[in-house]
Amino acid sequence: MSVAKDGPPGRTADEPAGGASATPSGRTGAAGASLREAARELVGIAVAIRQAGVHATAALTDGALLTALPHAPAAALPAHRALLRALTDGAGLGFAPDGGRLGTLAARLGSLAGQESLAVRVLATSLRLRIAAVATDHPELARDPLIARLVEAAAADRDLESVRALRSLFKDRGAVRALSLIAPILGEVLALRALLDENPLNDRTAWLIATGEGRATADPITGISNRAVAALDTGAGAARRTDLTAAESARLGSEASLLGFLRNISLIGTTGRVLVQSVEGPDGVVRHVVQAPGMRAGRPDHDSPQDLLGAFSSTVLDSNPYSRALAAAVRDYGLPPGAEVALVGHSAGGAAIMNLAQDAEFCARHTVTHAVAVGAPVDFKRPADPRTWVASVTNQHDIVPTLDGQGAGACVDPHPGWYVVDYSDATHLFPLCHGIERYLANLADDLPEARDEMEARLAAYRGPVVRSQAYRLFDHAPRPDGFPFLSVPAHAVDGPAGPVELPIRCLDGGALTSYFAVDAAAAARLLHGSGFGPAAGVAGRALVTVHTAWNRHTSAGGYRELHVGIAVPDPWGPPSARPRPLLGPLLGPLLGPDLLRRADRRCSGSFLAGSVVDAAAVHAVGARLWGGEPWLAPLEFGLISGSVRVAAGAPGNRLLTLHGRLGPGLPAPALDLVGYAPGAAGETLRSCVRSRGPGRLHPLPRLRLAVGPGSAHPLAHRLRELGLHGARPLLCLSAGTRQMLQYAAVPLPAP
Amino acid sequence: MPADATAIAAHAQILQSDARALTDCAERLRTIGARLEADGFAPRWLREAVDAHLAACATAAADLTAAATCLRRYADRARH
Repeated sequence: MSVAKDGPPGRTADEPAGGASATPSGRTGAAGASLREAARELVGIAVAIRQAGVHATAALTDGALLTALPHAPAAALPAHRALLRALTDGAGLGFAPDGGRLGTLAARLGSLAGQESLAVRVLATSLRLRIAAVATDHPELARDPLIARLVEAAAADRDLESVRALRSLFKDRGAVRALSLIAPILGEVLALRALLDENPLNDRTAWLIATGEGRATADPITGISNRAVAALDTGAGAARRTDLTAAESARLGSEASLLGFLRNISLIGTTGRVLVQSVEGPDGVVRHVVQAPGMRAGRPDHDSPQDLLGAFSSTVLDSNPYSRALAAAVRDYGLPPGAEVALVGHSAGGAAIMNLAQDAEFCARHTVTHAVAVGAPVDFKRPADPRTWVASVTNQHDIVPTLDGQGAGACVDPHPGWYVVDYSDATHLFPLCHGIERYLANLADDLPEARDEMEARLAAYRGPVVRSQAYRLFDHAPRPDGFPFLSVPAHAVDGPAGPVELPIRCLDGGALTSYFAVDAAAAARLLHGSGFGPAAGVAGRALVTVHTAWNRHTSAGGYRELHVGIAVPDPWGPPSARPRPLLGPLLGPLLGPDLLRRADRRCSGSFLAGSVVDAAAVHAVGARLWGGEPWLAPLEFGLISGSVRVAAGAPGNRLLTLHGRLGPGLPAPALDLVGYAPGAAGETLRSCVRSRGPGRLHPLPRLRLAVGPGSAHPLAHRLRELGLHGARPLLCLSAGTRQMLQYAAVPLPAP
Repeated sequence: MPADATAIAAHAQILQSDARALTDCAERLRTIGARLEADGFAPRWLREAVDAHLAACATAAADLTAAATCLRRYADRARH
């Protein structure tokens, strides 16, 4: 372990860690410092030389030289010739047109033709000195023949040789070791290549990296504009409160500290979440800490700003969806005006919190006292409040912090006054060394001085945590759950376990409706006295539905339900309006067109012969929902890969089972359901279930319903009366994922 | 065309100043190279690079001086 203590002016660091692997840092040695200083001076020289080219170009392209030509034609030609020579003399300024439209165009054409200026050559020497400086800290770089070959090829503008050297490096060492090895000088090597190659699009970014004047504006290899790529990361940024799991909450530290904040970042992980905490400091003042993790794994662009595009835009833009989402989280958290805030972030989170720190509006509302970026490319970020104390912790083998163009070899300090811990650890490989856990371990065990200094600086944020709130971040404000289908008025009704909101709104569930043909006389016996009848059916048989569902996430909690009903036509309809075969060969003959109507427009339905639910809270309001007296019993519902496993009743005392395969299916929407049942006061209750989601219609199901052989349950009796024991359904409708609204039943006059 | 002559003369003055700056650059390069050599920190390729830069700076300074002279002459002729 070695750590940087000097290097660029203003850099600060820790002493080498104790232990066998600790070696004195080269950057603390005279060689590294001297080489960096020389590199910095060469930058100044290159800038001065370039300026001479800009001035000569301005003179050559000034209209005054042309308009004066008629007055002194004999003197004009030598002047133009001398300027041209100064700008193109390969032994002098090189190909040096620069500045203005014409100068820039000429420079790009010159780059395409492989022409270089003296300024570029001097800057290339500066970069080589930076590489030499880093090599004093990392002797393995100087010793490695493949690295030396790569640097030599880049410095000599031998493109093919550079590619071969890089390929050899990766082939010989493997990608992980090669990246880890080259990481400390990656920025310099890329800038060197970009300065000297024939691609004019990457010249500006190479100049910026080499001079440290600004962050890289383009990919140093291709020259593709970083802003153009970052512009793909769109969104106003949004944050929604989310609960940590019980295990996560238990592991959150109750006492705040810098290491504690980093542990929290590790704890919530790269899951699209951030954490905001309030801490009562030693002076009794409550302050607040925003903790932002890095990039979320997965697709490069998803609904979270913590994706690859978000990480990129966090680096190259001053404001991006991630930082705006962080601001939204803080706004929701509800800080008092002027409240003191510390921002702590890792990787893309570090860049995002720095974007937040440089947001003037945010800093006008809150006092950002500290910003701590770990393993993050933040060299060109500037806090809006100059009083903000900024710390940057970077491992020199970590490529991510160099993505803004500045790495271990930087010779110009872009931010004097920051507390910078730039250390190296030869035992750590990229990407391992980029992980928050590794940084945490380094700070905890290997960098005691830096850790103590930073903890001391954050002393006001040490103390008991008095509030924690996690947020899930989004590029765009997410639609409310279930919008618009589940966005309906609801009212609470009292139940024994507390109020239950009706309608019950199910965000995610699955359902299976099976249609059985049963003896019409048996169905008529069950319908007797209900006012309904005759039962709807086909070919002289009555139709019975067995509807089962697992409502996984509902406003009343998760529950399963099972309903057995006898299909009945519109009880008030004339006989001529009773079921007609209009739906083609499958549904039409059996159920008629009414089935496809929305529940609120449907007249036919199922007269409920019995209902079972497995949740006490729902059972308590069951009479309101369906009428009758639903039973409370264990239910199982499995609908996976076309296989059905439904069971009612406890194991060993099954009421019924419905097992088998659904067979081939046709796409069909999840259908609404209408149920009729007698009410307590003798009225008829009509219940509605609205469904939304994809479903499948299975015309040849291979299921079998079995009634529990020893079950004395009333529903078991009814199923036996209907002859359903051992029956196979005619067809089934399945919906693996659906949303559902279960309305309270409404009373109707008896038909 | 006094305005044009003045502009041309201004360019001449800037280029002359740049020529001096290039001479200064050469001197700074020489100092840097010598310092690193003396300290024993100079990479083996540095001397060759610095020498090349020194020669280029000298040539560039001469080119700029020549251009400045030509511009001055041009401005004088245009003024009369």
